[in-house]
Parts: sequence; C-alpha cells; structure tokens
Amino acid sequence: MLWKRPVLQDWAFAFLYDALRQAQDDKTGMSDLDTNLATLTARFRDAVASASDAHALDEVRIAFLGRSGAVTEVRKGIGKLPPAERPGAGKVINEAVQGLEAELAAALARVENAALTRSLEDAIDVTLPGPPAKIGAIHPVRHVAIDVARYFTRHGFAVVLGPEIETDANNFDALNIPPDHPAREGLDSFYLRPDLVLRTHTSPMQVRAMRKHGPPIAIIVPGKAYRRDANDARHLFMFHQVEGLMVGHGIHFGHLKGMLVGMCRELFGPSADVRFRPSFFPFTEPSAEIDVKCPACAGTGEVAAVQCRTCGGSGWIELGGSGMVHPNVLRSVGYDPDAVTGWAFGCGLERIAMKRHDINDIRAFIENAPGFAEGLA
Amino acid sequence: MRVPIAWLRDYADLPADANEIVARLAALGFPVDDIEMRPRLTNVVVGRIVKLERHPNADRLQLCTIDVGSGKTLLIATAATNVAEGQTIPVATIGAELAGGLKIAPRKMRGVDSEGMLISAEEIGLPGEWFEDGIMQLEPSIPLGTDLIAHFRLGEPVLEVDVTPNRPDALSIVGLARELAASFGVPLHEPSTLVHYEEGGDDARVTIETVDCKRFVYQRVGGLRVRPAQAWMRVRLALAGQRPLNNVVDVSNFVMLELGQPLHFFDWDRVAGKHLIVRDANDGERFTTLDGQERVLDTRAIVIADDQGPTSIAGIMGGQRSEVEPATGEVLIEAATWTGPRIRRASVALKLRTEASSRFEKSLPLALADLGAARAAALLAEEGGSVAMPQAAGMPATEPPPVTLRASEVERLLGFTLTPDEIEQALTSLGFTVARGDAEFVVTPPYWRGDVAIAADLVEEVARVVGYDHVRAEMPAVAPQEVDSAAFDRETGLAVTLAGHGYTEVLSLSLQPGSVAETWRASGIAIDEPVEISNPLSEDQRWMRFSIAPALLEFAARDRALRPYLRFELGHVFAQANPDPRETVHLTALHAGPSTGSGQASAFGRLKSDVLALLQRITGVDARVTRGEFPSLHPGKTAALHVGETLAGYVGVVDPRLARAYDVADTTALATLFVETLPPYVTPKYVAPSKFPPVDRDLAVVVPEGILAGDLVDAVREEPLVRGAAVFDEYRGPQVGAGKKSLALRIVLQSDETTLTDVAADAAMQRIVATLRERFGAVPRGSTSSPQARER
Repeated sequence: MLWKRPVLQDWAFAFLYDALRQAQDDKTGMSDLDTNLATLTARFRDAVASASDAHALDEVRIAFLGRSGAVTEVRKGIGKLPPAERPGAGKVINEAVQGLEAELAAALARVENAALTRSLEDAIDVTLPGPPAKIGAIHPVRHVAIDVARYFTRHGFAVVLGPEIETDANNFDALNIPPDHPAREGLDSFYLRPDLVLRTHTSPMQVRAMRKHGPPIAIIVPGKAYRRDANDARHLFMFHQVEGLMVGHGIHFGHLKGMLVGMCRELFGPSADVRFRPSFFPFTEPSAEIDVKCPACAGTGEVAAVQCRTCGGSGWIELGGSGMVHPNVLRSVGYDPDAVTGWAFGCGLERIAMKRHDINDIRAFIENAPGFAEGLA
Repeated sequence: MRVPIAWLRDYADLPADANEIVARLAALGFPVDDIEMRPRLTNVVVGRIVKLERHPNADRLQLCTIDVGSGKTLLIATAATNVAEGQTIPVATIGAELAGGLKIAPRKMRGVDSEGMLISAEEIGLPGEWFEDGIMQLEPSIPLGTDLIAHFRLGEPVLEVDVTPNRPDALSIVGLARELAASFGVPLHEPSTLVHYEEGGDDARVTIETVDCKRFVYQRVGGLRVRPAQAWMRVRLALAGQRPLNNVVDVSNFVMLELGQPLHFFDWDRVAGKHLIVRDANDGERFTTLDGQERVLDTRAIVIADDQGPTSIAGIMGGQRSEVEPATGEVLIEAATWTGPRIRRASVALKLRTEASSRFEKSLPLALADLGAARAAALLAEEGGSVAMPQAAGMPATEPPPVTLRASEVERLLGFTLTPDEIEQALTSLGFTVARGDAEFVVTPPYWRGDVAIAADLVEEVARVVGYDHVRAEMPAVAPQEVDSAAFDRETGLAVTLAGHGYTEVLSLSLQPGSVAETWRASGIAIDEPVEISNPLSEDQRWMRFSIAPALLEFAARDRALRPYLRFELGHVFAQANPDPRETVHLTALHAGPSTGSGQASAFGRLKSDVLALLQRITGVDARVTRGEFPSLHPGKTAALHVGETLAGYVGVVDPRLARAYDVADTTALATLFVETLPPYVTPKYVAPSKFPPVDRDLAVVVPEGILAGDLVDAVREEPLVRGAAVFDEYRGPQVGAGKKSLALRIVLQSDETTLTDVAADAAMQRIVATLRERFGAVPRGSTSSPQARER
C-alpha cells in the first residue's frame, strides 16, 4: 500500500528501501537490528529537525511510526531472528519506538508554540467596515413610555390603554369640565360628532378605569391625544401623554411628589428633583404644575458659563400638570370623595423625549428621517 | 398679561429685588413667562421752564432757564418746539444716561454752554409714538428736583405673567398685588374710590333684554375737558403696553388694568334718546366699531343700542358713533358683567378678541362692576369731572356662599399638618372671612373669588400661601388591585421584538387628507368608510386613517435610496361603523428589500419569516399559514396567519396598483397584525429531545401548480416519525412539465424508542410518499438519504 501514501519524503523512501532489502537477506541478525535502529533513529531525528510545522511532523510520524512505517518494516525483521533473540529484539524495538514518540511529541509542542508565537504578530485593519448591521429601533416616544411604565409597574401600578375616539361625556363632563368650557367649542378639540371627540388628553381613561375597577386603583395610561393646534416646532396636533392616577385611602399630595421624583430620577438620572407650582385644572384640586430640575445644568441655568439650552436658563423644565383628583370626578365614577382621595398627573411624552435627547423641534418625531429612531435607541 | 413692577409697588410694599417678586409669583401659581428689563437711566430730574428766550446765534434753538428745585437753575438749549414757560418737564442733567445709550456731557450749543437736555418720553425708554412730539409734559404737582427715574420707577422690569383662566381677578395689577401682599405678609393699599357725587344726573335709563347681561352699572360724569392724561397715568399705561390716548379714555383702560373690570365710556351727548337697551344682536345687523371697521353681527353677540340702533358690542368693543372724542364733555360710564361663555362665543364669531372680551369671557364677579365704576368716577373727578350717583340694572352683587373646611382636610389632601392659626391666617391674608368652630372653619370667600366653592379649593389656597414646597415627597404603599397591564405588555413586546428583528418603528399622523382614501379607491381597492373630523384645522387633516400602510408606503417611496428598508408602526386605525366609529389596533410592517425574487430571499419571504417569529414569541404558538386576501396586498400573493383559531393578520406582497400609486417596487412586502385580538401568550411545554439519532431525508415531488407547500408539509407531519419538515426548493421547468412544479422537502425522522434503521426510515418515507400521492397527486422525483448522518 505504499503507493497510496500521499507524500513521502526522499529520506523515508531511501530508508525503507534499505530496510526491505536487508529484510529479504537471510543473514539478518541482532547486530543488524541495532544498526538499523540506530540508522532509523538518526534519520528520524533529521526528519523531525527539518519538519517546520505540525503537518510535516505528522508525515514523519506516519513514515516512521505509522502502520506501514519504517518501524513496522524493522519489526518484520524480528521473524528472521533466531527464536531466542526475538523477545529481546522486540523489547529493544519497543523502547526505541517509545523514545521516538516522546521526541515527536516534544517536537510537536515546540512547533505549535512557535506557530502561536508567530501568530501573535499577525494584524488586521480593524477599522475596515463589516457588513451593515441589521439595526431596528422602537420610536423614542415609545421608549419613554416603556421607561415610565417600568418605573410605575415596579411600584405596583398597572398600565392601561384606551381608545382615541372618546365620548364628550368621558373626555369632559366626567372630568368636571363644564359644557361651556372653551375646549368644548370646537376651536381646541377635534370633533367627529357633537358627542364624540378625539380625546384631548389621556385623562378620560381615569374615568374608564375607575368605573370598571373600584378603589384602590393605581394606574398609568400612555397614549395619543389630539388638540386642534397647527403643527410647529413646539406643538403637534397629535401627541402622546402619560397619565397617572392613584386613588385609595390616605393618598395625598406628598405621594404624588414621591412618585414623580422617582420617575424623573428614572428618566433623567439620580440627581433629578421635582417641584410643584400652583395651577388650575378643572379635574384636580389642589392643582399643580410639575417642574423637574433641568438635567442638563442641574438647575443652575448655566452650562460652562453659557445659558443652558435645555431649560432656557430657568434651571427647571415644565413636565406637566397634576393635582388631587377633584371630588366631582370621584363622584362621577361612583367613588366617595369623603372615603378616598387620590392624585393624578399628565405629562407629554414628546416633551420628555425632547429633553432627554436634546431635540428642539417636536416635528422630528413624525418626520421619521432615516436613522432618527435608530440613533436614539 | 404685562405687569410693570413699577405699578405693582403702588399697592404693596414689595421686596426691592425683582427676582424675588418673580419667584413668589411663580410659587403662587402665576408663572412669569418673560422679564423685560428696562434701559439703564440716571440723572433725570423734574424741572420747570421759568424763562424761554431765543438763542442769540441760532434760529431753531431756544434757551431755557430751568428751575430744578432748591433754588438751582440750569440753562439748557433745546431744538424742541413744544416748550413754553411754566411747563414741568424732565431734565437730563450732565452725566445722565438715557435710553439707547445716550450720555449727556457738557457741551456748547452755538456758543452757549448747555447744562443738560430737555428730553422726550422715548429718551426714558417709553414708546415715543405714544407720547407728545418733543419734550414730555409732566404734571406740575411733582416737586421740582424730583428724581424722575425713581419717581416713576422706570428702572423696574416689566413682567409677562401667566394667569390661569379660573383667576380673572388676577388679570389685574391690584389682583396680583393682593396675592403678593398676602404671600409677603405686607398690607395691601387699595386704590381710592372716594368721590363726591353731584346732585342729579342719575337719570340715565338702561333696559336689559338679555339674560347674559348679569349686571350693568352706569354713571354720568360731566364737566370733562379732553386732553392728554397726567404723566403718572400715561407712564403706567405705556409700561403695561397700553397706548395712552386722552385723559378720559385712559381712565377706562387704566381701571381695566388696575382692577380687572373692563369699562366703556359713552359720549353721553351722542347717545340718542338717552336710553340704552342691552339686547341680543340681530342676524346681519351692521355696526361700525371704534376701530373704524364695519362688522356684521349675528345673534351670538350682545349689543347696547340707543334709539338709533347698536352703539356698542357688549363686552367686546364700543362703537364709533358714541366714542369719546376731543369735544366730549360728558360721558356715561358702563361697568357691566356678562355671562363669560356668551362673550367668548361672540368674540369667536366676530374674530375680534380684545382686552375687554378676554376678561369678560372668564365671567367676572358682579361686585367688580360697582368697584370699577367707582374707581373710574374717582379718577375722572380728578380730571375735573362732576360725578353723578351711580345707577345699576340687573342682578345685585352678592357674596359667594360660605364653604366649610374641616381642619383635617388640609392634612388629608396635602400630607402635612398646619395649625388652625396657620390655616386661618393664610385664608384671611387672601381676603377670606374665617369663622372658627371646634374642628372646622366656615370660610366666606371675598367677592372676587367666585372660583372658590369647595373645601379642596380652600386647601389649595392655604397651600399656595404656605408654599407648595411644603409638600414632602413620600412613597405611597400601593395596595393590591385588580387592573392588569396585558395590552400594554403585548404592544411593548411586539414593538421591541420587531425592532430586534431589524425593523424601525415610525410614527405617522392619524389624520390625513381625503386624497389617501381616493388613491386607494381609484386603484380599485375596497376600504371601509373612513371617519371624518367635523371641524378639521385644514383639509389635510379631515380624515382619520383607515390603515397604517399608506404612511409606510410614503416613507418607503421617500427613502427609496435606503434598501433594505424595514419599518413598522403600531397604532390605532379607524372606520365608520354603526352606531359608533370602529377603532382597532394594527401593527403594520413593511419590508422593501433589495431582492426581486419570489422565493425565501424575497422581501415577502423575509417579512413572513420575521412576522412568524414575532407571533411565536408573542403568543407562544407557531402560526399557521394559509392563502388569504387583505386590502393593500396582492390578491394572489397574500398569506393569512392563524394563531390557533384566531386570525392574527396578513402578510403579502403589496398590491401592484398601490405599488404604482405610491411609486414603490412591486416586490415590497407588507404585513398587518390585529393586535387586540391576538391570543394571550401560552407558555410552551418542554419536550425532551430523543436520545436516538435523527435521520435526514430529502424528498422531491412533482405536484400540480395549485398545490401549496404548506399543505404538503402539514401532510408530511402526519407521519408519526416525522420530527421536522420544510420545503427548501421550488422548481418549475421542462423537466417537470407544464402546469406542474417540483417541491423539494427536507424531512427529519426520529424515534423516541430506538435508533432508526434504514429499513424503518425507508418505510416511513414510503408512507409519506403514498400520502402525498393520494392527497395531492404528488409524484416523487427520487428519494435519497442525506450525504451524512447528523451527529449529536
């Protein structure tokens, strides 16, 4: 089967030729065996020395120690020895083979280490671009909603969603907004019919949720709302709010502040702070505007001695409206305002996203320019 | 509202630092939107021209000898032409700094040393065109030598203050001064209404014929001489942004800004019949307002008419016919109260919003009318007017009803405790009358606080005075509740998972022009009747979107340079229905790939794979695919996706008619999922893998063209040994014949009990082939074992 061997180096052929020829010679004896082993060992060492990689060493192994290798041919000589010498010869050959195998293993370790050492000197141009990554992104407004929801759900709140087409009764009446309020005259609100409006805030979900579930209740409501404004850098007629509502026994204004401080820290970092300013909303009493300490200037109004762009120098950012749920609202959903109290708030999600990402034109959110959402994810 | 701090200080002793006032206003609920700083002014004193002579060397200059008090005079040359001996005027002395950066230095004017300058209103930072040409005229009552900058507080900023609609009382200088005085704990100096009434003159007649006139106070003031108002009034008006006109008209504007009660003065001599009728306007009634515009009225407006017809639009603007003019000698003061919404509706109908209407539309307290008239009468008396007794029609002014406040209510709502004394003091400082009981207060609001009607309102008042900063942040303990977050969690899961597959979420407007539906219908695509907005802002926003696809197709066309293009939107779509419009939540995704094929690498194939993976992740179930049809998708290239028995949505190649209309490639793929009706997530159960090696077999069968790969795979899966089956190639060509196609399937066979022998595998394959032949007329093209057995 010699012919089947892929590459056999010259020295191996030469050696085999000698061994075969001697094996055919009847005069073979122990001394010849010794000579042969010595020659074989010498040639093996030459071969190992000249092998520069693991592959070449493997060829050496096959040529000398393989099934049809040189050692096998030498072993065949044992049969021609006088029977008394045969065990001794076998032992000599086995010892020789063990020695050769150890040398081969050492050589293999040497060339592999050398190859590893050489490979450490390889280098590639790491600045060459790879293939385009498959990057998708959720919209930055959803991102804010998810972050707000994560915070509130961690504190036991549920997140509920509701319809954008709302009854005039839920959107206004149940929220203590009187029939002659300007928002109800078609200048500020989109109407489908006299009794159906595109919700002007997420607050009607307060009404729906409280009518469905008795107190205690603790929910937030992210979603779209609509106001009849022309789109400009600060206004969109379609925008997103998140509403918060908590009603139960012993719920007070301080709890609203506590939850909002936590929310702002979640959104703007651990140094965020919140302040309340008196305000007016028909569905809360007392009512408060929520300001959050500007995350860009930490409330100082200045960044590197220049007026802070994020808050316009005031040190505070208006976040939304809030207050204690008006007794009339509690009554309209069948709650007893003498038994339970509650608070509610509403914030614009676009506004939060704008402050987070330094966006100064709200229209960017509906433009959907390539890379916009991906860059903010 | 423009609020000059200079004017606020007339009524309360406020801190010197304007920033302190600004911060306190914000803390009281009146945020300051803008602070207008005034120019730096120095060295302007009050002087009197004691001698006026021609300049010896210049025709156009005059030399004035000015008495600036303490026996001191200055010689000043002026080119102004409105100077006369005896005038009291502002004098800028040497070293003065004036508006516009002007500095007064000693100088010679044609050989005469001029010791300063006589100055105009513009030079002290007031709008020049609102004042007399030339040198500003001051009232002689100001002591000579007075520092005019300090006297008029001209260095004080002017604030733009935001007043919430529930507080029309604070749309006035006194109203805000009252709030500040309460907050700073200083007394409020209310303006004087002291006046001596003349005998007679209380014979004017007013008839009210509309329910929306609540009260109408009127009062004759005669003996007037129309001329410029005194400087102190003109300066205040100008700082507040109100142009001074004359001493009569200015009084009505001054009282409106000072007290918040808009007034109207009729020139009494020009009131025909000396009888005013307050009535609803007639449709089409024409009338010229005092700005010279002819207006066509309708019944929404209220007019005040005399014998010749309307002479004023109630609550909005007076008429030209009876306006105060230079010859006016007697006026009738009108101080009325109207139903707020009525005035707002009339103002909207006329597209005319005025300082008056913006106050009246918030429903003013009745008693303010009496106060406003009295204050105007007092000011007109200072101008030499003889004041008749006031008269009134309509409802009498009453006190707001008392409100009971339990002492514990403050803590119940705010979470912090105040002593009864603190509560009482806070309320009385704002003008409330407090009667204390054992555990409660009976509180009567002042007449100007009609907005305070319940205990919670009083709690807010207390909180405002002690400061909202007293509210301590505290975390609530959230009680267990029955509400869940399933819908939100699902939407979040869908959006986040799809984004993970490389899709970018977009946000498009829910309102759109009618052209969108027209485009679809013109393309032959049936859509549900869209929902119409009855009062759109523009035609571009008249219709609610019936589908998210139009927006995605528009973005795909706009961003055509970007491929592959993967987008989605999750939102509500709307359709007309009975009795109410239908609102559903859609997730629509678009894949505009660079590929053009129809196989697995096509945009359709990729989108389908992504949507199936999404459905699996969200519902926990592998969706089933059948043929389907859905508006927006090619009728022959649409798959319906089923999760259990629920139709989850559709994925398909865009309808070619829409592809052409939107100018996108006809290989663009769209998918829509019906978000609300997706079945809830089912937790998948663990199936232990077989301990025995699987055997892969490939099978190619020729089937008629109409056979679906999915049906074939479903049939293959009926064989119990089949662990997996998928079509990996579809071929059409001469070798399989016309009307037929070859489908290649890879089938994984495996047993849970034993290592499959070739014999057992072959037997299974034969059963499969038999089933396919029987069910679909499939003819095998040869069954081979895989090149190598899979190793585990």
